[in-house]
Amino acid sequence: MTTVGAALPAVQAKARTRGTALPRAVAGVAILLVWQVTVRAFAPDFVATPTGIVEAIPAVVSSAAFLEAIGITLAATAEGLVIALVLGTALGLLMGRNAVADRALRLWINSFNAMPMILILPLVSLWFGYSSLARLATIVFAAIFAVIINAAEGAQSVPREYLEVGRSFRSSALRGLFEIVLPASMPYLLSGLRLAAGRAIIGAVVAEFFTAIPGIGYFILYNSRTFHHNEAFVAVIFLAGFGVGFDALVNWATRRYLPWYRRDEQTE
Amino acid sequence: MRMDALKRHGPFLLSLFGGLVLWEIVGRNTSAAFMAPLSGTISRLIELAGAGELWGELGSSLSLFVTGFVAAVIVGLPVGLLFARVRVLREALDVYIMILYATPMVALIPFILSLMGFGFAPKALVVFLFAVFPILYNTVEGARSIKPELIEVARSYRSSEWALWREVMLPYTLPYTMTGVRQAIGRALVGMVAAEFFLSASGLGGMIMTASQNFDTAGVFAATLIIGLLGVGLMRVGSMLEQHFARWRG
Repeated sequence: MTTVGAALPAVQAKARTRGTALPRAVAGVAILLVWQVTVRAFAPDFVATPTGIVEAIPAVVSSAAFLEAIGITLAATAEGLVIALVLGTALGLLMGRNAVADRALRLWINSFNAMPMILILPLVSLWFGYSSLARLATIVFAAIFAVIINAAEGAQSVPREYLEVGRSFRSSALRGLFEIVLPASMPYLLSGLRLAAGRAIIGAVVAEFFTAIPGIGYFILYNSRTFHHNEAFVAVIFLAGFGVGFDALVNWATRRYLPWYRRDEQTE
Repeated sequence: MRMDALKRHGPFLLSLFGGLVLWEIVGRNTSAAFMAPLSGTISRLIELAGAGELWGELGSSLSLFVTGFVAAVIVGLPVGLLFARVRVLREALDVYIMILYATPMVALIPFILSLMGFGFAPKALVVFLFAVFPILYNTVEGARSIKPELIEVARSYRSSEWALWREVMLPYTLPYTMTGVRQAIGRALVGMVAAEFFLSASGLGGMIMTASQNFDTAGVFAATLIIGLLGVGLMRVGSMLEQHFARWRG
């Protein structure tokens, strides 16, 4: 029963990919062709074209400037993400398990979450100067509210029976938090992480645009201003790839190591 | 009755009030160059409103927002329906739409700047780019989920293509599109501020830039507050639209 059920969609999916591969490939070639021809015909020489980008890739990817920029931005993003995860999860779990905290903070958390993240840029550069600290603050601000909201939702979703069993066995509140609430809200925390990571790297890029400190955002800004659009576009491709790649990584890791968390399949 | 209302809105009001008081206290106890208290922000806001500066910039920001956003709806909705109707088109292009959806639009701003300069059009384009993909994506998803029976029945009654779009596809898809519209409102607002920050300073975003360059911290807070309130208000409109059309969901 299960084998048939599992095999059938796989067969269908295979048939479908075979059906879509051709139109997809044709469309891809058409898009690149239109891009190439339009730019060549109407735009100045420095504007990025598909062939120009492909030609630029080896030089850019092996250049010290690009690798250094990526390293700086990714390190800052990771640092900010860790801060946002630790603080945000703590605050979110508190809100999820404590009605008073939830009522006191919910309004502000939701408002800040709805606020365009880039509004913080003038303020952080005022507070921290045009420095990497301003970037870190932007990253944390960009990422933390998604973490808080998801952690709170996760903590609220913990079945009451779990906690009651824990209490019956006289587990302490702290052990209950770490051994029941935290694992039970993991699917929510993971979707919070995915959202937060995407926002964090964008936060890093806009902070670099704004403060002109070294990093991948500044790499894009500098190269596009000096009319090296092809080179700058390689960095944009990297950014888009990071977003997709991180998502895929979290999904893969969830399936591989936490296969019992299948929240994605339910929501999608 | 009044107790009920108090119980329901009490925590909200208390939280609002508590936050504002905290803002005031922190603002009063830090250097004026770093932080403006609530009272200072409000009085600066009144000053700016009185001078008419605020209204001009608000109007400029709103016209940018509306231009980009309306363009996004005008493009996103019909193209989304077309994708849903013409399967080859959808299958050929959905990967590329997803790629564009995943591309951080802010990263494209420097290109737009050096291609199109500082005018109104590039800024509207930024707002458009931020807003169009959620609308397009949700429209395609909605239109794809139309029950084939509905279209078959319409066909059996010899419905014309135009009538099929108007009577079946559009009403069925609009609730989904409105989810996209709500998401797009938030993104378009980001696009608006990003355009005003990074392309050429204008509108409320420009007001923030000017104020921060002049170390007018109260001015920064005042303009930020207005954009924040604008965001909350627009989101509310988006949610209302979404809920209104949600009743159509079949």
